[in-house]
Amino acid sequence: MVPVPTACPFCACGCGFYLLANQGGLVGVAPSETHPVSLGRLCARGWSAHEAPLWGNRLRQPLVNRNGKLESASWVETLDHVAGRLKEIIDAGKPVGVLGSARATNEENYLAGKLARAGLQTNNLDFSYQSICGPLFTGLEEVGGEATAAISLNDIESSQTILLIEGDLATTHSRAASAVMAAVEKGAHLITIGYTRTQMSRLASLLLPTTPGKEGEVVDGLLASVLNLGLEDRAAVDARCEGYDALRRNLEGVEITAEMRQAAEWIARATRATFLMPPLSGERNPSRRVAAALATLAAITGHLGRPGSGLLPLLARSNVRGACDMGVAPDRLPGYRPLDDQEAQQRLQDLWGKKLPSTPGLDAEGMLQSVSALIVLADDPPSDLPMGHRAMAALEKIEYLVTLDAFLTPTALTADVVLPIASFAETEGTVTSMEGRVQRLHAAVDPPGEARPGWQVLADLCARFELPTAYHAASDVLSEVGRAVPKYARVGQSEDKWGGIGTAKAPNGGKLRLFVAEAPRQAPAEGTHLLVRDGTFDWGRDPLVSFSPTLCRDYQSQRKLFPNGFVEMCKQDADGVGAHPGRPVKLTSVHGNAVVPLRVRPDLQPGVVFVPYAFRDYLVNVLGTESVTAVKVEQA
Amino acid sequence: MVYTLAREGTTQWLDKLLEAGEVIAPVRGPCGDVIFSALRSPTQVVWDFENPLPAPKQYVLPQTDPLVKIKLNGQRHEVEPLYDDAPRTLFNVRSCDVKGIAFLTRMHEAEPADASYLRRARNLTIISLACTTPCPAGFCTCTDSGPFLSAGYDVQLTDLGGTFLVEVGSEKGEAAIAKAPDLFRRASEDAVTQRKGLEAVAKTRFGPETCHFGSAMRRVSTGRVQDALWEKMGEWCLECGGCNMVCPTCYCFSVKDLRQNGTWVRCRMWDSCQYTAFTLEASGHNPRANRKERIKRRFFHKVSAQYYTRDSTVGCVGCGRCVKTCLGSTHMPAVVAAIRKGKWHE
Repeated sequence: MVPVPTACPFCACGCGFYLLANQGGLVGVAPSETHPVSLGRLCARGWSAHEAPLWGNRLRQPLVNRNGKLESASWVETLDHVAGRLKEIIDAGKPVGVLGSARATNEENYLAGKLARAGLQTNNLDFSYQSICGPLFTGLEEVGGEATAAISLNDIESSQTILLIEGDLATTHSRAASAVMAAVEKGAHLITIGYTRTQMSRLASLLLPTTPGKEGEVVDGLLASVLNLGLEDRAAVDARCEGYDALRRNLEGVEITAEMRQAAEWIARATRATFLMPPLSGERNPSRRVAAALATLAAITGHLGRPGSGLLPLLARSNVRGACDMGVAPDRLPGYRPLDDQEAQQRLQDLWGKKLPSTPGLDAEGMLQSVSALIVLADDPPSDLPMGHRAMAALEKIEYLVTLDAFLTPTALTADVVLPIASFAETEGTVTSMEGRVQRLHAAVDPPGEARPGWQVLADLCARFELPTAYHAASDVLSEVGRAVPKYARVGQSEDKWGGIGTAKAPNGGKLRLFVAEAPRQAPAEGTHLLVRDGTFDWGRDPLVSFSPTLCRDYQSQRKLFPNGFVEMCKQDADGVGAHPGRPVKLTSVHGNAVVPLRVRPDLQPGVVFVPYAFRDYLVNVLGTESVTAVKVEQA
Repeated sequence: MVYTLAREGTTQWLDKLLEAGEVIAPVRGPCGDVIFSALRSPTQVVWDFENPLPAPKQYVLPQTDPLVKIKLNGQRHEVEPLYDDAPRTLFNVRSCDVKGIAFLTRMHEAEPADASYLRRARNLTIISLACTTPCPAGFCTCTDSGPFLSAGYDVQLTDLGGTFLVEVGSEKGEAAIAKAPDLFRRASEDAVTQRKGLEAVAKTRFGPETCHFGSAMRRVSTGRVQDALWEKMGEWCLECGGCNMVCPTCYCFSVKDLRQNGTWVRCRMWDSCQYTAFTLEASGHNPRANRKERIKRRFFHKVSAQYYTRDSTVGCVGCGRCVKTCLGSTHMPAVVAAIRKGKWHE
């Protein structure tokens, strides 16, 4: 059995482990005590990481749709066909686009961006999860500039206070939850903001209750508490923060509770404090506003830039941060620089030898609805985008759809051309965790059939658009990334045995812009309850979970038992409307209505109705394009 | 029989063992971890190491274990059992892991015997290295599985400095010695005394982990653990299943067919009793739907008198791996202490 070190492909905690290979096949996973993030620990997903590449429905040869049927073809023939058709479509003046992926490597995402911008001459470049995490990053930038996360999961363990905007950390990011637990065990104060009694909130010293979409009001309350009680770190504010007076004015009249005062004290008095925030649900994506407010709270209490303290965005997929760093966004260049950043633009033009398009492109949803040709790299919009199955309908209408993937996803099933690429277990490359650690993947086995590493396929496509592609190995692509994104230049020189290196920039010395945007004005709710789309990611539809015999079970069982989805309410609410568990309820909003089975969930707050992200399609009439909406609930 | 083997002689002996089949030994991996892996050269063997986190049970009960090949021949399904008969030597395993494999073998020998497991186990020669320095998280004195063994090994080595004391405990052990008979000398009284002294010293050098199984077993077996306590402990479990995966005595599995070149291979795969889906029934009913029920089940199985009577041992060998790998804080010593005291984190 050969142990091959690699980075975990699931969430963005950035764990590492050994894949075990025997006679050319994957047989298991072994934890590592020397890995600086995992330290010998893995979550359930990590322990089953070898399963999907082995058991999954793998793509083995290039396939081309001829007369409605996918037929196998040679690599050269297929790539020529793809380049030829794309050129025809572009020459006809029709829009084209590229989707990168939070489950593809940095090298693959970088080349996807190069192909889009320099090859296809378009900024129509995005990935499904970008619309969800983008606003969070923007909010953080508004306060700290380029500097975002400057805290590691290990730092969390020695925090004295942890403020967690709670989705369900124990299941979404078990390694981060583990760090929080370790801190709590040592006596740290855990403060959770949320509307469900989750596992983490049950371990908390203090729960600051909120309603969906109103997390920002609690953070405002904490900010106001800090100012009212005079708890701000004067030295930090005077030396580094701008906009203090405006902040005071903006927070006048904000409601403060006794719990908020207590929480503010714990945060301000801590030598080391951690702030954790996932992307949020809510009207017009409140993540940007809440992230800015949370960063402001960290800044005025002196925790932004202080070693061991900081703010960490909780990202769902392993390489969300890397995809953003590679500039896979319609309005960002590599380095996550704005599209009009002259310096970044010049660097890319020098590297790629082409002038780049300057107008912002379409985002993922926009592309699905309007491009004539779309290249999808290891992304699956129907599973990942909030628009759910409407993405499937949109994909089917696209004139020419090319998919690069290791697995037969719903997107691959509708594609005109399928290019089989290696899974994480069969390729070299790097991924970037949510704490900014860039880590190496190593191939433990060969890709199945004729599948090839994604970076090679993308390089071959780039070459067909006359772009320089002298890459002999994935590390050559990484060297080029280092020239396009200066903070990645050191990645190859890591002395860490796992080949990891931190890229997060601590906001040392730089100015922090304190900032609280006006609270969004909400239309008066016409309904008895708030329907919430819970979560921002559905692991059950991710190929690494859905193709793993161990990991797919809960999700499959739930889909089998509830083929038409369900909504969840607390018992008190169910009794209130006379609804029975397992029986359908009717939900009506301004957008429309739907009838779905009800499940009773004990940890929900009264007044809230949950629809899991996995079942969002069944509530599309009620939610419209929102993620939180007022509804009337009645017996069906 | 008891022999001595000069340190330089280990290379030649390992060369001979390698000629006879695969030798699995602690090897330093590319990232610094010591892992049990197939040896390519005797020089790879690590002699001074803390017990690797992945247990060597992988070599009797692999994480992915092909059991049966199923082929469609016309209208008929042909079934062919798959066996791994390869002669294999486990070299430099620690005492707790020898006990762990003995535990697994006892369980798989019980009727109906598990032929696949037993073929592997019967072709396995276990050469252990006694622990003169116990590992920091280990508590094998509480489980009678270390730091030295009095039985259960094929060969037990003790590092006496320049030489090894070699205790042979079985015919398979004799056969391993017979591969290079010239290397082994009959042990002197002094060498045996030295080994006893090392064992006595090792027993005084354990770290802080202890595990009082006796009183925990009485409480678990007589139902004297409050439900509220299981519930509280359940809150500190993150359901990673790591405790099961690294545990030398855990053997629970699930079964799945793998499609491979027109055939199916039925595989046994490690599973965890801490996963919700482990007991999930097709109807959707789950007899252990809550964490508190699952954690209760795990510790009932590991420490109840019912199993002690059958196996004459608790289902723990004190290796301390769960202490290291637990993502929460519900590892064996912590839970046993909580059961004993009736308190958790208070």
